[in-house]
Amino acid sequence: MTALTGLRIIETAERVCGEWTARLLADFGAEVIKVERPGGSPTRRYGPFVDGESTLFGYCNTNKKSVVLDLDDPEARERLDAMLEAAHGLIDDHDDAWCRDRALDAAAMRARHPDLVHCRITPFGADAPADRQRAFPINVANAGGWAWHTPSEAAPCDPPLMGAGRFMTDFDAGLDAAMATAAGLFRQRCTGQGQSVDVSEWQVQLSRADIIIGRILAGDDEPTTGRTRYDMGGPGAQFACQNGHVHLYMTTARHWKALRELMGDPDWARDYPADWLEFHCTRERVASFRRDFAKWVADKDKVQITDAAQARGIPLAPVNTPADLLANAQYRHRGFFQAIDHPVWGPIEVPAVPYRMSASPVVISRHAPAPGADRGEVLS
Amino acid sequence: MTPHQPGGPLAGVRVLALVKVWAGPYAAKLLRALGAEVIKVESMGALDEMRAYGGVDIEHAPYFLSQNTGVLSARVNLKSPEGIAQLKSLIAKSDIVIDNLRPGALEKLGLGYEDMKAVRPDIIRVSIKMYGNEGPLGQQTGYAPSFAAIGGLNYLVGHEGEAPRGINIRYGDTTAGAAAAFGAIAALHHRERTGEGQFVDLSAVEAISAMVGDQLFAFGLTGEMPRHTGNFHPDLSPHGVYPCAENGWISIACDGDGDWQALAATLGDAALAHDAAFADHSGRIANRGALDAAIARLTAPHDASELAERLRSQGLSAYASASSLALASDEYAWSRPAYHMVENGNGDIRPVVGPSWRFDPDPVPTERGAPLLGEHDDYVYRDLLGLADDEYARLKANGAIS
Repeated sequence: MTALTGLRIIETAERVCGEWTARLLADFGAEVIKVERPGGSPTRRYGPFVDGESTLFGYCNTNKKSVVLDLDDPEARERLDAMLEAAHGLIDDHDDAWCRDRALDAAAMRARHPDLVHCRITPFGADAPADRQRAFPINVANAGGWAWHTPSEAAPCDPPLMGAGRFMTDFDAGLDAAMATAAGLFRQRCTGQGQSVDVSEWQVQLSRADIIIGRILAGDDEPTTGRTRYDMGGPGAQFACQNGHVHLYMTTARHWKALRELMGDPDWARDYPADWLEFHCTRERVASFRRDFAKWVADKDKVQITDAAQARGIPLAPVNTPADLLANAQYRHRGFFQAIDHPVWGPIEVPAVPYRMSASPVVISRHAPAPGADRGEVLS
Repeated sequence: MTPHQPGGPLAGVRVLALVKVWAGPYAAKLLRALGAEVIKVESMGALDEMRAYGGVDIEHAPYFLSQNTGVLSARVNLKSPEGIAQLKSLIAKSDIVIDNLRPGALEKLGLGYEDMKAVRPDIIRVSIKMYGNEGPLGQQTGYAPSFAAIGGLNYLVGHEGEAPRGINIRYGDTTAGAAAAFGAIAALHHRERTGEGQFVDLSAVEAISAMVGDQLFAFGLTGEMPRHTGNFHPDLSPHGVYPCAENGWISIACDGDGDWQALAATLGDAALAHDAAFADHSGRIANRGALDAAIARLTAPHDASELAERLRSQGLSAYASASSLALASDEYAWSRPAYHMVENGNGDIRPVVGPSWRFDPDPVPTERGAPLLGEHDDYVYRDLLGLADDEYARLKANGAIS
């Protein structure tokens, strides 16, 4: 038995943010029925492909069932209503016009299914102006401020970066949407009442920077067009080492003392005051430190040096690659990757959840469905 | 219901927060924004560092005031056995205990999960640790910049052809905190259904890895190592962040030939729209260096926000890249509102960034700000724990409440 066992969720989402929201609920054991358009979800066309199957779709839709319904067909739309009548929640990520055209907007849902928890994930909010109804993750990351400030220490001529991969803002938005929906479902469990949940992908980006933007709004920090406004200063950065990169974050006299010891107290390190990181962290010192540290760390092994640093309390971390993470002993120990069988791919490993739950452990038990795979069970 | 319940979906749920810095307080704040009553356990002798950063005093610290929205504060001295005893009484009256202290810190105080269960059998304990609570690397600790490196984000962020640079150094704490809050709510469901509490052991670095999980999954299947590729998107073209006037930037994403034709037309270059090299997606991907350079030439003279509005009026997906100045002065953000004015315990009115969600009906108002240290001592010790006046006074005098 997992945490959301017994809850049935209908998913009409067709973007990664909505699919991810529903997968997070499915991870915890909710029965998620994905409604796909004829031809299948649009996310099935995103690669990389293996044996003709989308790995993206395969990742975002584990533990789900699938039915195919053409929601432009009145009969199919009625079937959806019947499914919603027997469901606890609905996850959708379409724009306002699409929802109104199909009576899937919040007002229509409250009228027809007042007991339902209805979550909409949209770029700027369900009732945002018409010209803010459409956005891709690169737009959300840029409008939300993280891209402008990525990478740290960007020069004015460096294009802002949207983050890691194609869907980071979708995954972050899915986390908030799943959380708010789970809260709404808790209220439904306690009171029997439904609720509309309106999640803005852009506001997720703002919320993730709450203490940075909050200080600027309050006038504690000046708002600027500077590319380094989110940065922290200090010598922390990524450095190339013998077999990849390491990330150093160093802020205290204790860190500095420990790092000097780790490096065998080289001559160049003696020029820095013991408390330079807290009180004398000049641009010149940061530059000269980075130059000398880069030389020192260049021939070190990524794992050995970061383990040695950790043992001394220095936040020097490996810049892990996907291969590193698949082999990571701690991830393996915690069962972050779960093995299942896939009809086309055979045995596969799915990144699961970042939790260990003592009473309701998460189990990835179903591979992502073929379009309409569960038609018989769901629509009978 | 108590006087400090804001209403909303988690009405009636009480959260005890033993949290510091950013990830833990963020998780606590989100649970409050969903309607829980959140009591932050604080002590003058072991302050949240955020009460010290950048402020003239602990009641006016900008970081603290920016993140503890609506949270209550009760003083408990965890170095005092009587303080620990009071905390246990409070645990007995709570649903969730959330902490982001060092691995083993609570256990040393006699406040491990088993100890909590002894006073509250169905308690939900949520812990946020860099690598989780135990295991081969379970004792390692770090800050958010380390999370992003370890979790696999930093390797996958950088400009094409350059070394990976990583995401902005501030990213990580809040995403880990959000994952913790979600885990807490899942556990509430399990408890409501079965009566059983549990230990939710969050690994912050795994929470970060979930932001690149699609790439971990694809790598496991293909064996092809993903690389950082700037703003490249294999399925959308054009797709990028293009220069504008006065060091501004505009993000543009086109899905299909229709978007592309509309973009070229709106940018005013008919020749580009008819260039056979860019006629279809595969051509635009194969020739994307030339394509991006041509678009950059066309965007460069324009103000980013004005151009974005013009492109959006044609149905395109184009948004200016927002600096902190743009975020602070964004009229839409103030009107939605994404920013809220709250009243802090110190009496000041202050803007804060609100949550990403809205509920209807039964919304959670964002009105109260961050608390004074111990502002809710009376509520906790008198109303919740029912201490008599002389006992309450004695515990304050001997430092158990300090």
